[in-house]
Amino acid sequence: MTVKVRFFARFRELLGTDILAEPGTGTAISTLVKDIAQHKKEGYDAIFDDNGAFREFVIVMRNGKRVEIPDAGKTVVADGDEIAVFPPVAGG
Amino acid sequence: MTIKVQKEDVDIGALITAAKKHGTGAVVVFDGIVRDDDITEMELEAYEDVAVAEMEKIAAEATRLHNLLHVDIIHRIGRLSVGENILIIVVSAGHRPEAYAGSRYIIEEIKKSVPIWKKELTKDGGRWVPGEHGHGAGKPLKK
Repeated sequence: MTVKVRFFARFRELLGTDILAEPGTGTAISTLVKDIAQHKKEGYDAIFDDNGAFREFVIVMRNGKRVEIPDAGKTVVADGDEIAVFPPVAGG
Repeated sequence: MTIKVQKEDVDIGALITAAKKHGTGAVVVFDGIVRDDDITEMELEAYEDVAVAEMEKIAAEATRLHNLLHVDIIHRIGRLSVGENILIIVVSAGHRPEAYAGSRYIIEEIKKSVPIWKKELTKDGGRWVPGEHGHGAGKPLKK
């Protein structure tokens, strides 16, 4: 299956964006994002804490809908999903 | 109603004219501009589809709560210079209390939940403007 992962703002600068991943069946959002972020320590550290959990301010969306951080470890991705990961918003 | 994320500037005068629907007694315009905070430019980035959907929800809720007759929200992205428009909100209502309250509601909700980010560019590089609300984006609006 193919899943698109989009990072925004500082996370995009550190990790790139619109990354097409091919996770195995049953892969959770947190596992998918971790696998991608692991390639660059600074990007990984911006998103995950020392225990490998999403930092509390990080916002995760699946197909435009918010996924609460505690649920990201048990929410499984599906073919065609778009996962977005970004820091607190600052528009206006 | 016009709700957009775009690079181009807008004609605020034309928006005011279009906002004067039957029954309008007040039009309030909010124009957020790039402030001269010792920066060279500002770079704005959006998660566009979600940002527009979120602003549409905010506009609908503002209309419901404050009896607005018309709402436009245009949020610009890309690279903007000091003094340029960032965000234009135009609302109309029968009376000024509703128009002011509706406009204020919209800007405060945008700051909480719309996925847009600003980077201040300086002579030495740049800095991302910290968000005011870590947990707002994508959450249902309070009723």
